[in-house]
Amino acid sequence: MLKTITRMLIIPCMAGMLSGCWDNKDINHRSLPITMGVSMVGETYKVILLIPEPVERTTKVRIVYGIGKTITEAVDHISRDMESDIDMLHMKVVVFDKPSAEKGMTDSISGFMRARDISPKAVVVICDEDIDHFFKRTKQTMEPSGTTLYNYFEKNAGWSPEVALTRIWQVYRSIYSFTRDVAIPVVKSGNDTMMQHLGSAIIKNGRMVGQISSEETLLFNAFNGESAHGKIEVMQHSSVLIVSNTMSHESKVVNNQMYMTSRINLNVSILETSSHVTNDSIKKELDSTLTDRCNALLAKIQSSEADILGLGQFFRNKIPRAELKNWRTEYLPRLKMDFSVRTVIQNEGNLKTPRRK
Amino acid sequence: MNKSLHVLIMYILVHLGFIFFMYPGDIISSSEEGHWIPILIGCIVHLLVIWTYMKGMSYFPDRNIIQIYSEAGRIASVVFLGPVALYSVMVSIITIRAYSEVISIVFLSNTPLWSMMFFMLLISTYVASKGGEAIFRTGILIAVLFLPVVVFIFFSSFQNVDWRYVFPMSTKDFSFFAKRSFYESFFAFAGGFLFLGFVQPLFKYKSKHVLICAVFFIPFFLFSVYVPLLTFGQATASTFHFPYIVTMDSVHLNWLMFDRLTMFFLLSLVTFILLFVGLVLWMTVSISKRFIPIFKSYQLAALVIVIYSVCLIIPEWEIVQNLFWWNSILRFYVLIAVPISILIFGLRSKGKGARERA
Repeated sequence: MLKTITRMLIIPCMAGMLSGCWDNKDINHRSLPITMGVSMVGETYKVILLIPEPVERTTKVRIVYGIGKTITEAVDHISRDMESDIDMLHMKVVVFDKPSAEKGMTDSISGFMRARDISPKAVVVICDEDIDHFFKRTKQTMEPSGTTLYNYFEKNAGWSPEVALTRIWQVYRSIYSFTRDVAIPVVKSGNDTMMQHLGSAIIKNGRMVGQISSEETLLFNAFNGESAHGKIEVMQHSSVLIVSNTMSHESKVVNNQMYMTSRINLNVSILETSSHVTNDSIKKELDSTLTDRCNALLAKIQSSEADILGLGQFFRNKIPRAELKNWRTEYLPRLKMDFSVRTVIQNEGNLKTPRRK
Repeated sequence: MNKSLHVLIMYILVHLGFIFFMYPGDIISSSEEGHWIPILIGCIVHLLVIWTYMKGMSYFPDRNIIQIYSEAGRIASVVFLGPVALYSVMVSIITIRAYSEVISIVFLSNTPLWSMMFFMLLISTYVASKGGEAIFRTGILIAVLFLPVVVFIFFSSFQNVDWRYVFPMSTKDFSFFAKRSFYESFFAFAGGFLFLGFVQPLFKYKSKHVLICAVFFIPFFLFSVYVPLLTFGQATASTFHFPYIVTMDSVHLNWLMFDRLTMFFLLSLVTFILLFVGLVLWMTVSISKRFIPIFKSYQLAALVIVIYSVCLIIPEWEIVQNLFWWNSILRFYVLIAVPISILIFGLRSKGKGARERA
């Protein structure tokens, strides 16, 4: 009897436990920002949050500002002034403005990694205009669905291969890693499109040190295996669609001089061409265009001493670790690289292309 | 009755529960390059230890280590079982405290520690109170439910690896022998093997199966360290407390509706840990029941209250790490003395048996 009573008493307690809630705030008392803007004014941070709020049948986007000595403080200020609690769980995009990116994002990025309230998978973006203006414009184009800014960087949505896709953890890695830097997309608000893509920022140890163009970003993506699939390569006479690409690299060290040979294997299909162009000339032209671009990209990397292609990775087994520390400054500028492109024209579309005459 | 499966499953669950948290961090901070060397040294020591232990146990087919030591005399019981019991209590304290901290770092940041520790201990105590057989049966159930999830997430964590980070492979630097974290990493090897001496005569198992299972488990040890290393590189990975958890966080699966895989991974591993703590409590109480013949039915409750109070007293992570370090002495004592003594007793009893027959 006593046993039964105890059991009956315990079971309701279990029910309370099973919910697993502690100081839990209901979803309607939370604001879930999806985009955060960070800008540094002197020593203080200015944080802008974009919060989609569902109202009758549509979504309104709300912009809120906060200022503080740290990002957390700024967010706290916003949270204090708002009627609901801010929960960063669904943060997808973090936007830095260009001056603060050039000053260095190390502290902010390390803070995100430490606190874990922002997912390390959030995409990092740099905006090349006044951040207030950027957010105001974004807000206008975002309504009514509220998520377009994120869709711009989502692989199965609006992302295209000329846009670098770099996440917080990758930026964090670049702060410490000896041989690996990253590129972050640089955007500004567009006139009638959501955004205008300006290229990518070269990030070295968490600081922006240079910029590359959209075409060069494509190569950067190809190097990182984010395949250039679907990219239209415009040449003088024709444009082709890169169906798939693979890269093979060989690295060697002779007399303390680093050499690297990279071969880009492209599978393309022809989209547009003028009548007198042969397949051979397309191949030749692709080869020369891409080789030039690669060399230009390499020159930029070497002058900024930031290894966004991760070339140092190929020398990890050839240079001792103690030396690897100086890879960016000592070895990278002296690296000699040899590019070659091998193209396979997978198909020509519906029309025949003239063979060799 | 041969029930190797129960024992094997328990072995896998316990070790999976251990290796993804502190272990990668310890190994990464113990060495700058060639991490496979400290890992393999650990694994070889582990294999030697469990081989010796099981070899010794095989001379006593129907006894557990409590009975073996009791038969060997009072001194042997005090010298060997005392430290085993003390070590088990320490392990429970550290595990409960550390894992509730991990849970609070990773997802329950609002929940106070005391409540997490309370519920963890409550469940473990319940499991322990049901005795050894129930623990091993629960192991099978938990394995069926959670092992697929863990294995799936383990493989998905390879998403961001860059295999070139594996270099430099070779190293002439053996300074990890002087590093505190290298010795702390033996936590992963020393915590889970003792139970092999307690399962007889409840379950009989073939020691060959356990050894094969242990060998096949080595890749998990390797990759729990190498996945973070290959994703972030040594220089970055060494800045994390729990490198594997951070690596999990960076896995992005478009087609999966859940954003944070880490949660599922962690919850599955926490069930393994709950089971492990239950097992350890059961082992400790079996020892104490043998030597303190009064209040037998209250001993578990008393033990748990002691463990819970100590957990509450520990205020910060630093002290957990210090406890971890102080516990190393006991850990190595248990790791070395228990298997060897069992083997010696085993050989002696075999000799005695042979003489009696002659």
